[in-house]
Amino acid sequence: MSILEVSQVNKNFGGLAALHNVNFSVDEGSIHSLIGPNGAGKSTLLNVLVGLLKPDGGSVEFDGKSLLGKTPHDINQLGVARVFQTPQVFPDLTLLENIAISGYADRDGGFKFNLFETADTAKPVINNAKRVLEEVGLIEQQKAEARHLSRGDKRRLELGICLAHEPRLLLLDEPTAGMARHETETTIDLLRNISAKTKMTMVIVEHDMSVVFALSETISVLAQGRIIAEGKPEDVKGDPKVKEAYLGEEQE
Amino acid sequence: MSSSDIKAAYDPSASGRRVGSDFKRKDLTTLAVFALITFTMPLWFPLIGGYSGLDTKILIWAIFAVGFDLLLGYTGYLSFGHAAFFGISAYITGLMLLHVSDNIIPAMIASLIVTLIMALIIGLLTLKRTGIYFSILTLAFGEMFHSLAVSTLQDWTGGDNGLTGVPTPMLFGLKMQNLTMFYFVAVLAIIMFYIARRIGRSPFGLMMKAIKSNQTRLEYTGINVLRYKLSAFVISAIYAGLAGSLMVIYEPYVASEFLSWQESGRVVIMTVMGGVGTLVGPMFGAFFMLYFENVVSVLLQEQWLLVLGLMFMAIVIFLPGGFADGAKRLWNRVSRQGDN
Amino acid sequence: MNQIFLQVLTGLQLGAIFVLIALGLTLIFGTLGVVNFAHGALFMLGAYIAVILAGKLGFVTAILVVPLALFAIGLLMERGLVKHFYDRPHTDQILVTFGLAIVVQEALKWYFGANNIPFAEPAWGTGQTIFYGTGVTVPDPIPGLRIYMPFIEGFVFYPKWRLILILVSMSTVAGLFVLLQFTRFGLVVRAGMRDSEMLRFLGINISKRFAVVFGLGSAIAGIAGVFGGPVTQVDPAVGMSMLVPSFLVVVIGGMGSLPGAVLASIMIGMAMAFSVNVAWLSQIVVYLVAVAVLLIRPRGLLGQKGLME
Repeated sequence: MSILEVSQVNKNFGGLAALHNVNFSVDEGSIHSLIGPNGAGKSTLLNVLVGLLKPDGGSVEFDGKSLLGKTPHDINQLGVARVFQTPQVFPDLTLLENIAISGYADRDGGFKFNLFETADTAKPVINNAKRVLEEVGLIEQQKAEARHLSRGDKRRLELGICLAHEPRLLLLDEPTAGMARHETETTIDLLRNISAKTKMTMVIVEHDMSVVFALSETISVLAQGRIIAEGKPEDVKGDPKVKEAYLGEEQE
Repeated sequence: MSSSDIKAAYDPSASGRRVGSDFKRKDLTTLAVFALITFTMPLWFPLIGGYSGLDTKILIWAIFAVGFDLLLGYTGYLSFGHAAFFGISAYITGLMLLHVSDNIIPAMIASLIVTLIMALIIGLLTLKRTGIYFSILTLAFGEMFHSLAVSTLQDWTGGDNGLTGVPTPMLFGLKMQNLTMFYFVAVLAIIMFYIARRIGRSPFGLMMKAIKSNQTRLEYTGINVLRYKLSAFVISAIYAGLAGSLMVIYEPYVASEFLSWQESGRVVIMTVMGGVGTLVGPMFGAFFMLYFENVVSVLLQEQWLLVLGLMFMAIVIFLPGGFADGAKRLWNRVSRQGDN
Repeated sequence: MNQIFLQVLTGLQLGAIFVLIALGLTLIFGTLGVVNFAHGALFMLGAYIAVILAGKLGFVTAILVVPLALFAIGLLMERGLVKHFYDRPHTDQILVTFGLAIVVQEALKWYFGANNIPFAEPAWGTGQTIFYGTGVTVPDPIPGLRIYMPFIEGFVFYPKWRLILILVSMSTVAGLFVLLQFTRFGLVVRAGMRDSEMLRFLGINISKRFAVVFGLGSAIAGIAGVFGGPVTQVDPAVGMSMLVPSFLVVVIGGMGSLPGAVLASIMIGMAMAFSVNVAWLSQIVVYLVAVAVLLIRPRGLLGQKGLME
């Protein structure tokens, strides 16, 4: 049963085809990786999914509903969350507040004119935020401002912001970029746990093949704006077209 | 969130409650102190050289500044056109008192409704893009209303001379003058301060702070950023509108300068010098600036604004947190010495 | 026809001052990302220095010295103040330049008083230009420069100094475009306006070059001060009153776009000139044009996508 259905999506930048008739389908509850050489169009595809870019043609359906023309916050409210390549958190707010914002977005929707509730005593939201902080291993620093975190911790916080909303589809753009080896392992374990526990669907864009192979059930390979291969990790590994795409890049 | 999670979250043994009541007590203490200082102002203000009436004016500006801080300090948007709301509301109040009734209630209500509508329109035109763009465009809109008042609409507004002949404002038979007016403004100032504090602490206030901190993340966390920005802008405009309306009730005359960029600049200076994002700071900033302008200026004569401008620059450069931050640092140093 | 011709000239003249102020604003914004609220004050300083110099050493000296002086002031302002604000929020940059604008304004008021200082154009720039049409001979006793325009009926008088202002402004714009288009410095500046992150990445020392950009922007404001001063007022309020329309020029043109600034200033100048006889409209036409443009094209006429969004 697929939760995300991308079909025949095209995107041109000034005559340059960044995405060319891309078909891409993600099964509910699976971890699906999107790999490919630099400039293959992975980021473009992610941006189309979250509503940042509008494709020139094709359709994007999440859970049977079209995402095209929807704003990023509407798409997020439908249950699609994204972790960015450079971690996006709220640097001036405490870790607890960072997560609580997501909790309020979950509870109140995109906008609520609630001026007189006290934000830091709304128990369901705050307790849930604490639980999430525990889960991503940042509970000890809950009162600290996010600006003081290391890059790896910021990424975990961002993951926490996404999780607090309990999304049905989590898009991760290079979730381990710039992390030390042991941080990468922790992140892999964390993602694996979440996936096992909540059956959350994940799409991971990643360069680090050890991460890709450790996590993915399915891999799609994007090269020059087209999906050139798709399948189980061991199938993709042996695919000559994939080797060619990557080797081609290395020779340049 | 699943229902079992919610149930778990309501567990009364969780530590949230004590913290909550602490906050409430602290809140009430602050409010009581503020109310005490405000209500006794007619007693202590003359002792430091203030003349009667200036205290009312200070409180009116304090309302303006605390609302401005909700926009600048929380949301991070720097408006250079808030005089538009102050001035439009002042004109509407003046016109209502002049042509409809000398009762202030309909005048104030009409002023606030017009302010609200103007704020919605201007907000929609200026808030869709970045903060820089917003600062420039609000400055331009402010100047537009100033030009409108002194040229296009001068038959209504009295042009450069301002709106004169406004009758003494009444509140159901009570003349809004002197101490009556002072206490009327004082009560409103306390209420508006309390509302601002509640907004600051609310989930709405949290969203405002998040806008200042990282709009991208907020949008991708499912929040309709534009609607929060617009609401924050409208709320702060209402504060400005209330101040503008009170200013005309305090002194039944509408000056065209109420709409000028100097007036917008004045609330910017108060807010920043007092300390953005602290609410109390900007109110003190209002006190400081008007005291400086009307009392200390005797020593400096015409150069008071030059001196104030230099102080403003020094604060922006060296103490971006304003007086509030300065006081906090000083307090920390003193209490640390006390510990030793 | 004659009336229209005059209004076009007036429009060009108004636009000529706006463009000189707006070019510096948009140049500084495009490269440094700083919105300079003190840019009107720089123009005003230019005008004041020009009045003094013209009175003591002659107008030609003023023309030569004021742009250089403003270049130095701009450089000083960037190195001494603005530089320290690159890493601070945009609101702080705006606040500190706004503070500076007030200080400059009040300092000038203190020293020179609040009133307008008379600033006469030089002897060689006084008098009228006489445009004349086909079959018309201008009687000899009428003094002034004579220019033939085929579509004019009879003659049209226009102050010579205003014509000079238009020409100076046009040459300055042309000069700036040549500088940016054909020099290495220009290449770096243009690249910086596209993507300053990229330049920093490439290790090009943009910091020093950008200080020069700030000086350049100020110098152009200085040119506006010398040549525009005799046309506008020279009083402590003129800085802010010129800043607002110049900001609108920048926004209408598209922030960071130099050709946009040129186009928008002509547009605003024309709008002001052609509405001058409609009392209710003339004072607010600038704002109406701005609102109209922004409703139709929120990015401004020639604004780039991605910038400022």
